[in-house]
Amino acid sequence: MLYVSQIQGRQAWDAWSQPVGYCVDILVSSLEEPFPPIAALVVRTPEGQQDFIPASEISFLYPAIVLTVPLEQHVAYQPTGDELWLVDRILDRQIVDTDGRRVVRVNDLQLARVGTRYCLTGVDVGTLGLLRRLGIERLGRGIGKLLGKPVKTRVIPWEDVAPLQDEPLRLKVSRDRIVQLPPADIAAILSSLDQHTSEALLQSLSNAELADALEESPSDVQIAILTQMEPERAADVLEEMGPDEAADVLADLPDETSAQLLELMEDDDAAEVRSLLAYPEDSAGGIMTTEFAHAPIGLTAQELLDYLRHSEDAQEDEAMYYVYLVDADHRLRGVISLRDLVMAPPDVDLSPWITSDPVSVFPLTKQEDVAYLMAKYDLLAMPVVEPETEELLGIVTVDDALDAVLPTAWKKRLPRFF
Amino acid sequence: MVKKVLRLPSGLKRLLFYLSVLGPGLITASADNDAPGIATYSMAGSKYGYRFLWIILFVTFGEVIVQEMAARMGAVTGKGAADLIRERFGVRITAFAMVCLLIGNLGTTLAQFAGVAASTELLGVTRYITVPLAALLVGFLVLRGSYDRVEKVLLLLCLASLSYVVTAFIVKPNWGEVARNTLLPTLLPDTEYILTALATIGTTITPWGIFYMQASVADKGVRMDEYPLTRADVMVGAAWGNVVSGFIIITTAATLFKVGIRVDTAEQAAQALAPLAGDYARYLFTIGMLGASLLAASVLPLATAYAVCEAFGWERGLNQKFEDAPIFYTIYLGFIIISVLVVLIPGLPLFRVMMLSQSLNAMLLPVLLVLIIKLVNDRRVMHSWANRSWQNVLAIILTVMISLVTLALFVLSFLGVA
Repeated sequence: MLYVSQIQGRQAWDAWSQPVGYCVDILVSSLEEPFPPIAALVVRTPEGQQDFIPASEISFLYPAIVLTVPLEQHVAYQPTGDELWLVDRILDRQIVDTDGRRVVRVNDLQLARVGTRYCLTGVDVGTLGLLRRLGIERLGRGIGKLLGKPVKTRVIPWEDVAPLQDEPLRLKVSRDRIVQLPPADIAAILSSLDQHTSEALLQSLSNAELADALEESPSDVQIAILTQMEPERAADVLEEMGPDEAADVLADLPDETSAQLLELMEDDDAAEVRSLLAYPEDSAGGIMTTEFAHAPIGLTAQELLDYLRHSEDAQEDEAMYYVYLVDADHRLRGVISLRDLVMAPPDVDLSPWITSDPVSVFPLTKQEDVAYLMAKYDLLAMPVVEPETEELLGIVTVDDALDAVLPTAWKKRLPRFF
Repeated sequence: MVKKVLRLPSGLKRLLFYLSVLGPGLITASADNDAPGIATYSMAGSKYGYRFLWIILFVTFGEVIVQEMAARMGAVTGKGAADLIRERFGVRITAFAMVCLLIGNLGTTLAQFAGVAASTELLGVTRYITVPLAALLVGFLVLRGSYDRVEKVLLLLCLASLSYVVTAFIVKPNWGEVARNTLLPTLLPDTEYILTALATIGTTITPWGIFYMQASVADKGVRMDEYPLTRADVMVGAAWGNVVSGFIIITTAATLFKVGIRVDTAEQAAQALAPLAGDYARYLFTIGMLGASLLAASVLPLATAYAVCEAFGWERGLNQKFEDAPIFYTIYLGFIIISVLVVLIPGLPLFRVMMLSQSLNAMLLPVLLVLIIKLVNDRRVMHSWANRSWQNVLAIILTVMISLVTLALFVLSFLGVA
């Protein structure tokens, strides 16, 4: 989860990693929305000037603030006067409920990336927020665990706060009826908000954005969100997801639900997912993707590149480290790296650059073995072939193979992007 | 705001108004001569004669400067000091300031109960009876809300300290000496002298006094056009309190110092009143010290609980139920319980503890002063009532002086100068 305290006081960098200044405040606009978007960052430049970075120039906020443009192309945001200054006006202020009872102060503010923009999602009023501001969040959690009383996060959805009166901030609900947001990324926020709120948030996301968010989420969150949506919409979102990811989600859902969703999906996509569902989750077949670049063998570099530009599978390939070459029966005959393909002269026979007997695995090969082989042969993707027919079924990319080898705890420690 | 129902003669109205504004200055100033105050002055007068009088003059100015700033902030903003600190400086600095306040106030509360122990043991009643009794009395009165009436009785008991003024005129000190020592500073480079000097500062300009003053002014809703009266209250209060303090030193110096008695117990301290009351001196001393102790013991834990809850936005106030304001009551009761338990440690040197608690108070004071000075100069907070530059010069000189004295103490202790 992203918090204002993690951004405030941080150095912002432009697209060429030149320092822009330190973030001193965050402006949000469109306050009528339940989760108003960030309009601009206020930074203090090295010359001591105040500068406004518009949201459109923000690439990401965490773990570092990075802009999409070099400093020379930066156009300062012009405040309209209707924005809310989060650090100046909201952070550390007293919150009272509808009856004027003091609830607590704003210990921190929760932000989330919704689609392409960052939004203000909640007000952290819990002890964990205090500890985070003190820079001892981890210590506090540890002590809480030792005492058998885990420190709880208490986040009130921004929707329930009315910053209209000057101060104190007033909640729209009584203290006893505060909905609380548990910690999580945007997908988890969706899963935990009440029906009405999450519907509003879901509407603002495109299928592709939602698919991206889901792919990054733990499976319990994926399930929570998909089951909350209209089945038609859920099927559309599943189509946008990679077939391997979609198959994983469907495998975790109750059989009836996944059967219903498969029915609703486009035939092509459903077929791919179905074939993947047949394999165990920890096998090469379970983690492979069927969307990858492949082409008939025997083309020149120029022809091959033209073929790929028009190939639907190639379009869908997330990474495309290699192009796999097959014969008329779709049997794997060779592989060429994209680098060699690009570097080769356009009109000559490609044979010298093609590895004609590539390493491959079977669908039932264990995930660990796939990872081991990829490490051994220094591969970024591993083809999966049918044992009898030698037909090329799909490929396992290095990130999916790595999932099996990296201990879970270690994975969690890697920085998370939203 | 003012309802014009009754038409009072303007002179009477003015008087009533003055009485309604008057108060916080007088109470904080009377509290200068609480139990640790009397103990400190008695020890100072008996050990160093008149050589502490100039410090009294110095802290009188200091008290006026500091309390006036606090009162002004209360009147301009209508908020407490903890509130402003949190909103202006964020969580980390607030937490640090609150820890300092908790330590200082706990020490001072403990000193009040030590005062109860010392004064009642003078009458031959063991502290194991009187201290728990005093704690029950204070807790009961404050929690039952009947404190207001009792406060006046306690203030009346404090008038017993006036007997020092009378005694001073009976023993006829060398007024020339008194005047010389008041105006000409004496510095002795030994740790005991510095500790006592710090205690004299720390018992007059107190962290809790700042919070109490600002909260009272804010609660009364003093407007800026009424503010000159509040300022007069601060000045009159400070002058009054410190005149009495000065006379305690003069009396002990003229009686005990002259005959070589160095005060370490209540028995010895009470003898300073012998020229006035003869055999009844101990009763007079007990009345004064007991009244002051109970008064401060009622105010201090409450003021601390208010400040801490204000800083973190928790529900507070005696009109709340325990379930609604658990932290508020926990701090309040915790202060009383811890103080009682510590004072009941057998063989605890009560007078020494009282004085050292005030030295500690003074050492923590600069932290708070720096924050107060920054706040009172912030034009977004204070508008046109921010400090003038001469006020800043005086406030900064005071802060630097206290810090230097503290530093001198550590340097001297380090060098091993007795």
